[in-house]
Amino acid sequence: MTHLTQELDRLNMKVMQMVVQTEQALSKTVNAFSRMDADLAQEVVDHDKEINELEVLIDQLCLRLLALEQPVARDLRFILGAMRLSKDLERIGDESANISDATIFLSLHPPLDFYDQIQIMGQKAYDMLQEAIIAFSSPDTDRAINVCRMDFEVDEINSKVLKLSIEHMSMNSGAVEQGVQSINIARRFERVADLATNIAETTMFIVQGTSIKHSCQFDDRV
Amino acid sequence: MHAEQILPKNPISQGMAQAMNPNNKVSLDKEHCCLEVKDLNLFYGSTQALKSVNMKIPVKRATAFIGPSGCGKSTLLRCFNRLNDLIDVCRVQGEITLDGENIYDSKVDVAELRRKVGMVFQKPNPFPKSIFDNIAFGLRLKGIRNKKHLSEVVEKSLKGAALWDEVKDRLHESALGLSGGQQQRLVIARAIAIEPNVILLDEPCSALDPISTSKIEELIYYLKESYTIVIVTHNMQQAARVSDFTAYMYLGELIEYRDTITMFTNPREKTTEEYITGRFG
Repeated sequence: MTHLTQELDRLNMKVMQMVVQTEQALSKTVNAFSRMDADLAQEVVDHDKEINELEVLIDQLCLRLLALEQPVARDLRFILGAMRLSKDLERIGDESANISDATIFLSLHPPLDFYDQIQIMGQKAYDMLQEAIIAFSSPDTDRAINVCRMDFEVDEINSKVLKLSIEHMSMNSGAVEQGVQSINIARRFERVADLATNIAETTMFIVQGTSIKHSCQFDDRV
Repeated sequence: MHAEQILPKNPISQGMAQAMNPNNKVSLDKEHCCLEVKDLNLFYGSTQALKSVNMKIPVKRATAFIGPSGCGKSTLLRCFNRLNDLIDVCRVQGEITLDGENIYDSKVDVAELRRKVGMVFQKPNPFPKSIFDNIAFGLRLKGIRNKKHLSEVVEKSLKGAALWDEVKDRLHESALGLSGGQQQRLVIARAIAIEPNVILLDEPCSALDPISTSKIEELIYYLKESYTIVIVTHNMQQAARVSDFTAYMYLGELIEYRDTITMFTNPREKTTEEYITGRFG
């Protein structure tokens, strides 16, 4: 095993560590919202800095490998992919922390009728992230394409939640803040789903060297 | 401040920027080619050094040959100006055409072929003469004696090889007093003085320091505007930096040949990927 292979293995290990931490953060976020569990939500907020630190570390590893090893072909694609992945995972970590923050606020108020829709949305965003992670770690391009397919459903529920929130706010002026926070959470889950799609696109880039960025949902294979 | 004021005026980085633009990506199918290799087999005695090689070399582009030692890349390069003819046990089958004419045809004037297809070797090989006489050597061989014409060609060739500013005040001093990098550029100037169509470079930087290497690489970038360049290199980063097309050879076979950007980002053949990523060879 060359030292470059060892360095790439180390980078892969750090990416997987970040993947696990992000997946756990999102899982806790979805559960905290479903149960309106402020303690669990606070746990997500507190642990976000660990994900941020991993992003910085992965950036440093990639920079060093690019500068010193002049990687090519699959090595180069993997390093570029790792940089994109860490950025997307860090954003998912941030979105999870922000959703959890909003959950802490909502837990102080009685639940609204359409929370079940947001819960479904959160679960679907989580399923997409899990599918994207399996696609990346396997690697499995069919599963990566499947992630893109799933994104439509999340977008549809997001529109539904927006409509229900507006309806609720127009009828209950006292619950405007709750309505706004609900829209905020739904929008962030929708963003998590988009980021999971990015991870799937990055997997395609690493494995096949092809870019399906911005065209993932319109790909013929989807 | 505009971007062009910030970016360094480095021709290689400019070239890379152009090449990375998908609209500027070169493709072998769309290139006009001057050299064509058809079913080429080459033997040194009973050892087969090249096996059924087929390829086309595009005009006014830089094409790099890479591969592990003994893969046949220098042998193939030397076929393009029939330098292998000088080896007694060497036998060639197949065809190489230069602008449609088979260079292995018995009627071909080999000296004229070598005028059209110049060569630069790994180690600079200036003649033990003055800088001026080195450049004028080929022209005098052709019978050109006019001093004004010779001076013009010497100046033009040295400028073309990015050496003029460094030697213009000592043209009549010995070429052997130049540094290694300057000597290699002098050899390139000598090659272009006789206006070849193709310049073959066999590991031209392997004996040079990084600064001289960088100068030769920049020179190759400019030379390909006027000449077809074929370069053999062991330095894969150099192949990536200077060439438009790259050919990977292994055990006498041409394994993969495509545009350099694809070759170094997404090669099609597993063996190419293993070689360029340093997992084999």
